[in-house]
Amino acid sequence: MKYDVLLMGVGGTGVLTTQVIIARAANIEGYYVRGVQLHGLAQRGGIIPAFVRFGSENEVSSPGIMQANADLIIAFEQLEALRAIYYARKDKTIFIINNHPLIPVYSYVLNIHYPTMDEIIKRIEPFAKKIYVFNVSQLSRENFGNVVFGNVMLIGIATGLGVLKLKEESLHEAIKITSPREVENNIKAFELGLKLGKEKLHKDK
Amino acid sequence: MDILEESGKKVVLLGNEAIVRGALEAGVGFVAAYPGTPSSEIPITFSRIAKKVGLYFEYSSNEKVAFEAAVGAAWSGVRALVSQKQFGLNVAADSIMPVAYAGVRAGLVIMVADDPQGWSSAQSEQDTRFYAKMFRMPMVEPSNPQECLEYTKIAFEISEKYQIPIFLRTTTKVSHSIGTVKLGELKKPNTKGKFVKDPDRFYNIQPHLQFLHDRLDKKIEEIEKEYGYKLNKIFLGEGKIGIIASGVSFEYVKEALQELGLNPPIAKIGLVHPISKEFISDFIKDKDIVLVLEELEPFIEEFVKQIAKDVNPKIIIHGKDMLPRSGEYNLEIIIPALEKIFNKKFIIDFKNHKEIVNSILKNIPPRKPVLCPGCPHRSTFYAVKKVYGKDTIYAGDIGCYVLGIYEPFNMQDYVISMGASVGIAHGINIVSDQETVAFVGDSTFFHASIPAIINCKFNNSKAPLVVILDNTVTAMTGHQPHPGSGFTGMGDKVEPIKIEEIIKAIGAEMRIANSFNQKQLIQALQELRKIDGLRVLISRGECRLLTTRKFREKGIEIPKFQIDKEKCTKCDICIRDFACPAIMKTIKNEETIYYIDLDMCTGCSVCMQICPEGAIHSIKKR
Ligand code: SF4
Ligand code: SF4
Repeated sequence: MKYDVLLMGVGGTGVLTTQVIIARAANIEGYYVRGVQLHGLAQRGGIIPAFVRFGSENEVSSPGIMQANADLIIAFEQLEALRAIYYARKDKTIFIINNHPLIPVYSYVLNIHYPTMDEIIKRIEPFAKKIYVFNVSQLSRENFGNVVFGNVMLIGIATGLGVLKLKEESLHEAIKITSPREVENNIKAFELGLKLGKEKLHKDK
Repeated sequence: MDILEESGKKVVLLGNEAIVRGALEAGVGFVAAYPGTPSSEIPITFSRIAKKVGLYFEYSSNEKVAFEAAVGAAWSGVRALVSQKQFGLNVAADSIMPVAYAGVRAGLVIMVADDPQGWSSAQSEQDTRFYAKMFRMPMVEPSNPQECLEYTKIAFEISEKYQIPIFLRTTTKVSHSIGTVKLGELKKPNTKGKFVKDPDRFYNIQPHLQFLHDRLDKKIEEIEKEYGYKLNKIFLGEGKIGIIASGVSFEYVKEALQELGLNPPIAKIGLVHPISKEFISDFIKDKDIVLVLEELEPFIEEFVKQIAKDVNPKIIIHGKDMLPRSGEYNLEIIIPALEKIFNKKFIIDFKNHKEIVNSILKNIPPRKPVLCPGCPHRSTFYAVKKVYGKDTIYAGDIGCYVLGIYEPFNMQDYVISMGASVGIAHGINIVSDQETVAFVGDSTFFHASIPAIINCKFNNSKAPLVVILDNTVTAMTGHQPHPGSGFTGMGDKVEPIKIEEIIKAIGAEMRIANSFNQKQLIQALQELRKIDGLRVLISRGECRLLTTRKFREKGIEIPKFQIDKEKCTKCDICIRDFACPAIMKTIKNEETIYYIDLDMCTGCSVCMQICPEGAIHSIKKR
């Protein structure tokens, strides 16, 4: 078994913590884990794709995911979801997208149109088995006063939808050891996401 | 913390963290480093745990002195580790070669990370393996985090057994990848030693030199014999086509072969230097074809070709004829090579997929890295450009400010190496009448710029205007302290060394300005522009990431700014020329509206100072 998750984010949006949480949860369940973050200067607002791969040791060895092979893409920003189609394909990949634009300053400086959510979805569709859209940034702000808990909420959503393939309990534990300072809010955010995911799954059925 | 977990536990670690754990399991007592991506997590982790586990750690002012300090410890019987990025090794190289001759007493591991593809804004795709050959030193190369731990331990063992410093080499995808790691036993660090005089060892000059050289060659021969089959491994398979791989390429090829349903024999090279002649001969003697997989230069491939002449002259050796010499490898690069050699088709057509994707992504805005909202460098760049215009030569250097290379500033006309901004500008000034401004970061100043600034003064050139961007820390690699920061890698307070005192001693005209104060910056720049000779502007302003972090910790509210719609004339200066990523525009009811994203604004106030209409205000004040 091998499961390939790609987290697409922007520097400073907490992608790396999310990667660690998923990796730790998979480790708790006894999977062999590999992954890598493609960052250099990314802390400065650049793109950060972060891969987490888990499965049996003899099937998972490359740190990165192969082109057109992601099982799940979680995008913390909508334009970055579009950029992730490189790793996606129609019969396999599920997208979960945070519907919250972070317009890169180069869109203005170089005068290049930042696509709307509809335009983005339309272009992703040929590469997606399924696309889910949630505005977790707004939900996080409404519930916690700022946007930073959106990430954990996305993990909750993926779990609730049954597309992350990890257990609630192991994610709980991973969140606890990864975010000692804000455990309570992170767990709350995870639960919130979990509920949303489950509701959505129920509705779709 | 995962890296301090008990033996037998399985945890997920970064390659760099696994190296730290390996060093702890080897009982390392002394660690020194100058931070540099992709090696930075090694010093960051040591700095965090040094006091807890009882070892000595320091951020040194550059890689050369870091190495020298580690040599002092190892010569006195304390196991030592230095870590750096590839270019850091160039700085340390001067001292490494003679120490290879002299040897060590306790184990000394030189960790070095290469960066094919240049994720760290690297200035070349240096392949550091050649240093091992040139210096006649052993080099081991792990493929994944588990091996990072194991090889670090073995490196200490080899180094101590053969009394020779040793390289532990990684690449970005090994240092920065995560993986499951099974932990071994931690060892209590030994931090106390004694230097014993030994002319036989430290007498590094003629006629003793040849004796040391011969002794070094002997050590290398013996290491090749002892570790040729321990660190290199053959994985049996079927057929007459073999694969030779090292580093992360081994991780790729394992998976690629599985995807393709192939099972050829593989030779994994863990001891990159000396490469074992016997091991390679054994592997290639009965093969028809081998494919050598290694990123960057054909280091192993050339060795294999050389041996093949004697052992199996008919064998076909593939490597850089099929795979690129530049950039990183990945599955999409390796699979097509395997398809060709094994004459097998993979289910995905990468080329076709890539073409479709590229055509779809053609017209979307790039998300290049940018100076953070509230970055002091943005403000300094803005002021310098205002005074010096766009035709002045802007000498660039290594640090966050390298991002000034992009629009709208375009103010890094060259970026070569630490300290080179001033060094090269001096040469330009000798032969040309063009005006030059050289940027230097604070950490870079202490690391390598002081000799270059002294050289300008000494040789009396018109000299560039040297702008020292002092944001108080080594910001680019994660806010490590430097000699001017006032605290050490152990977290102890020390007297900060003042940049202005050094500049004064050199005898340059100097102004100091607050980076967040446009008026001060512009006045200082205008004054300095009128003066001949060596001039220095220290633009001082704390890295805004650090400031906002401190605010948050202390519970201080971060000030926010907003744009007054009534006063804004949509001149676009705040976006077009200043480009703070927090400033946005949107179209509402067919009207363009400028606004500040409050999640992103860090309250530096500079946009307020540069808006010609006075349309930007602090939110509180209103
Ligand atoms: S600089 Fe001032 S006036 Fe010009 S667009 Fe920005 S806010 Fe409006
Ligand atoms: S105050 Fe202005 S320049 Fe500073 S971070 Fe906020 S929007 Fe950017």
